[in-house]
Amino acid sequence: MKLEEYIESVIRPKIQGDGGEVRFQAYTDGKLTLVFQGECSKCLILDRCLRWIESEVQKDLGMTVNVCAVRKKPYFWDK
Amino acid sequence: MAHIKVVRRSMRPEEWTDLRFEWLKRHIYAKKYEIKTLQIRDARQVSEMEYAYYEADYRPLIKGDMYFTPDGTAFIRGDIVIPEDMREQELWFSLKTAAEIIVKVNGKYVGGVDPNRDRILLSPYLAPGTEKLHFEMQGYNRSKPDDERNPESLSVRGCRQIFEGAYLATIRHDVLDLVYDLELLLDVAKCELFNEDYRAFLNRELNNALNFIDFEDDDLPGLAEAKRYVDEVIYANTDYKGSGDVALIAHSHLDIAYYWRRIHAVQKNLRTVLIQLRLMDRYPEFHYTHTQAYTYETLEKYYPEVFEELREKIANGQFEPVGAMYVEPDCNIPAAESLIRQCLYGQQYFREKFGKTIHNCWLPDVFGNSWILPQILKKSGVDYFVSNKMSTWNDTNRFPHNNFIWKGIDGSEVYACVPPTHFITWNMPSQIQENWEAYQDKNTGGQTMSMFGYGDGGSGVTEEMLEMMKRFDKLSIMPKTEHTTAEAFLEKNLKDNPRLSKWDGELYLEMHRGTFTTKANIKKWNRKLEYKLREAEIISTLRALAGAPYPRETLTACYKKLLINQFHDILPGSHITPVYKDAIADYEEIDEKLNEIIGSGEKYFNSLNFTRTWLTFVENPHGDSTRYGRKGYWCIPNLPPLTSGEIRRSAGTAKAWCRSFENVVETPYYKIEFQKDGSITSLYEKSEEREWVKGDFNKLKIYEDKPGVYDAWDILPNYKDKEYPVEVVVPLFLSEKNDEVAVFETELKVGNSSWRRQIRLFRQSRGIEVENLVDWHEKHRLAKVEFGCNVLTREGVCDIGAGFIKRDTHQNTSWQQARFEVCHHKWCDLSETDGGVAIINDCKYGVSFSENTMALSLLRATIRPDPTSDMGVHRFCYMILPHSGSPVEANVNKIALEYNIPIVKADVSCQNDFSGLFLQAMKLSEDGSMVVVRLSEQDGRRGTLRLPKAVKLLNMLEDIEGESDTVPYGPFEILTIGIPLA
Repeated sequence: MKLEEYIESVIRPKIQGDGGEVRFQAYTDGKLTLVFQGECSKCLILDRCLRWIESEVQKDLGMTVNVCAVRKKPYFWDK
Repeated sequence: MAHIKVVRRSMRPEEWTDLRFEWLKRHIYAKKYEIKTLQIRDARQVSEMEYAYYEADYRPLIKGDMYFTPDGTAFIRGDIVIPEDMREQELWFSLKTAAEIIVKVNGKYVGGVDPNRDRILLSPYLAPGTEKLHFEMQGYNRSKPDDERNPESLSVRGCRQIFEGAYLATIRHDVLDLVYDLELLLDVAKCELFNEDYRAFLNRELNNALNFIDFEDDDLPGLAEAKRYVDEVIYANTDYKGSGDVALIAHSHLDIAYYWRRIHAVQKNLRTVLIQLRLMDRYPEFHYTHTQAYTYETLEKYYPEVFEELREKIANGQFEPVGAMYVEPDCNIPAAESLIRQCLYGQQYFREKFGKTIHNCWLPDVFGNSWILPQILKKSGVDYFVSNKMSTWNDTNRFPHNNFIWKGIDGSEVYACVPPTHFITWNMPSQIQENWEAYQDKNTGGQTMSMFGYGDGGSGVTEEMLEMMKRFDKLSIMPKTEHTTAEAFLEKNLKDNPRLSKWDGELYLEMHRGTFTTKANIKKWNRKLEYKLREAEIISTLRALAGAPYPRETLTACYKKLLINQFHDILPGSHITPVYKDAIADYEEIDEKLNEIIGSGEKYFNSLNFTRTWLTFVENPHGDSTRYGRKGYWCIPNLPPLTSGEIRRSAGTAKAWCRSFENVVETPYYKIEFQKDGSITSLYEKSEEREWVKGDFNKLKIYEDKPGVYDAWDILPNYKDKEYPVEVVVPLFLSEKNDEVAVFETELKVGNSSWRRQIRLFRQSRGIEVENLVDWHEKHRLAKVEFGCNVLTREGVCDIGAGFIKRDTHQNTSWQQARFEVCHHKWCDLSETDGGVAIINDCKYGVSFSENTMALSLLRATIRPDPTSDMGVHRFCYMILPHSGSPVEANVNKIALEYNIPIVKADVSCQNDFSGLFLQAMKLSEDGSMVVVRLSEQDGRRGTLRLPKAVKLLNMLEDIEGESDTVPYGPFEILTIGIPLA
């Protein structure tokens, strides 16, 4: 399974289940850039989730990635 | 000279008290023994009681470890030997967590921990002499905690949590006792609603009390003196008198689905119930109310041992089932029959399991209540209605009553309680005082109701709330309080109270107006399946009368599944992505099962109890028309009521019935001037010699829709401030024409979305149908279609499922202004006395009126709670229907029923047509002894139903209340009759 497909089909439903949202944006030179929306966009401990995604990618795809988060806050939280 | 503001930087006396209070709390635990043998297995719940595991086996769980995963469930287990110095002592389990964890010890459910509580008393549930403990825990973690109103829980939001350690502990009750005293007294001291002098007294004397304690010694010498000082100086002071009389009702609001899926509500409910049961063990005076028969059902199914305990607590009066309904549904959108079934299946469960009929309807959080509800409640054994929303969430007007009588559309009356404050409180003196001060019926309504208990995702009452309550009588400054049951409160204060005011009308919530429109596909499925269930039950009943088996189990299961999805955060659209997916999967399953039940036949069946005379689309692969992407033909069925027969297309050959020249089209009824986008600038009715258009008509409008944090819930009145252009990609053209219909089509572009409109003009119908195919990819947009009518009226008329409501179209008062977006069902209408325009829809609910304009809300594009909300393909239709006379005289409701109920094949028929009333439902009774017929008067007329022989007169719970062959009925009345099976 490709990384993008993995994020969309395996990771995303779990994040959505927690009221969040994640979308694949880019993967370059080991850097996986993901866009976080919903509850994730303002999560104070999102870093923990990023490390978890890295470990899941490692476990399921055998890839070592460095996840970089882009937070896309909705307008009403964007203060 | 510059003004320099004096800022106090030194510690205030109150801060010194707060500081010592925090120190005191550190000494609650006398001993703590860390449990270091725990193991964890991470999982994700995939269905009710089914889990996908991340690991093959458990792994050690040690303090400081990360635990829980996004959307995760964790199973934790461990065995320990109780340390010798803790045996024979009162033993507690302590675990501070952001998750919601159910705890079982030595095979016994001992309680739950969550963001609102971090310890469980173990001793009473351990066999004498127990030395070893086996822990089994199931935890569920949310990034949106169980209750975000608890400020402490906000700080620990997140999918991945750090395990802070689990402990066996003993407690210093002398410390805990004083902690609760201080919790109570500090709340009063900090609350400006209480007397200023008394608060100064408290601040002074609390400082004095704490001065007794030596905090530098861990034994806290002076603690007993401090406690004595609180009793003898603070509590003993009765110089300051409060006023008021507040009834305290414990409950926990449990959203079946919201930021979690329905499958998770099973454990949320277990945890909530378990916590209350354990509190009841310790506090025999504690009463707790719990709603929704569905949640009891899941407890009984999956956790029978806890259910048995619950049943005992119901029998002894501590645990009180409230809310007669199956779930707490939305009360704007569901059809009358759905609301009746909420009561029928809810009450059926409570009667069967607990021997109780519940006399109250408990809907603290629903987004407004239809005018049809009082009658449904009254005829379902419900005398009292309770809901908090109008008093605490209205954005414009203060709802004028708290304890009052609510009069329904048919004149039925129920007692209503709309408590003055939120349904989630933690029973603090400040909240109780606030409730009393906000209470508007002090002189007429008796006590005011204050609900307490954490909620939204369950959780409920804490030990702290009960300990507060034990102390209220010691504070002369507080209102008088009484902890009681819902039933006792309602009977004591509302029943036969002659001084109550009366509210005659809908209970419109001045907020959450977007929920009539958000998640359009859910609304569409709901409408379709409500009618399909009707069809399936009628056909099944008629087949059963002819000897076929009645598919009761399947029908009931389908109905219950639909009712669950009418929950007030599912049907309104205020939920996360997976909840939407669950709902759609449920709808597809119901649809498939109902298709199997309905089956097929040689002939077409008219399930309506009046002759179908409206031009109808009949699917047929050989048809020469297309609707919703399916082939078929248009015809007037002319099928008599409740009979099956052949349908023949009329042999029309009049190809020239529709002529168009440039943008003007002429039909037997109209001369229409179109614009390229499908909007109509002139709709001239030839026979009436009347122009129906004044302003934008059938005009698609796209508005900015940014209501703030309640994104899925709200539409704000400022939406009209910013309008976005609609681009015409393909101008209106004639795309299809045969001897019945001419279809004009246009393709529009709205931002990133395509919008195709097919406008159908008919040879044999005054209706003009507009089918919309939308590929919707917007954010923060509200799509409306507006109809500026050449009609002078001050009232818009709206179907509400079992009758109609008239609403003002002007904005003279703040009440009228606040109703800028309202809920309707199949049709809305603007009429003068001799004619008007109705808009009939097949799946829309939001509408706005402004003078001569009505605007149907079509689509929204919200991002919270679901960033994917409403994205993708939508298909829906509406019909423009100019008519003579009033909407009643023009039979708009009957036409709307024909429009919404597709004709199906089934070889059944019924001898009686119950004419004059709408056949809302026909089913076999729950006990199988009768055919139950539900008839609804929907035109506001009085009359008498005359039957060939005597029938049983039933309430909506199918209890027999009389017998007669003539049944008089009043305007908007719903009758239920039972025809005994031979």
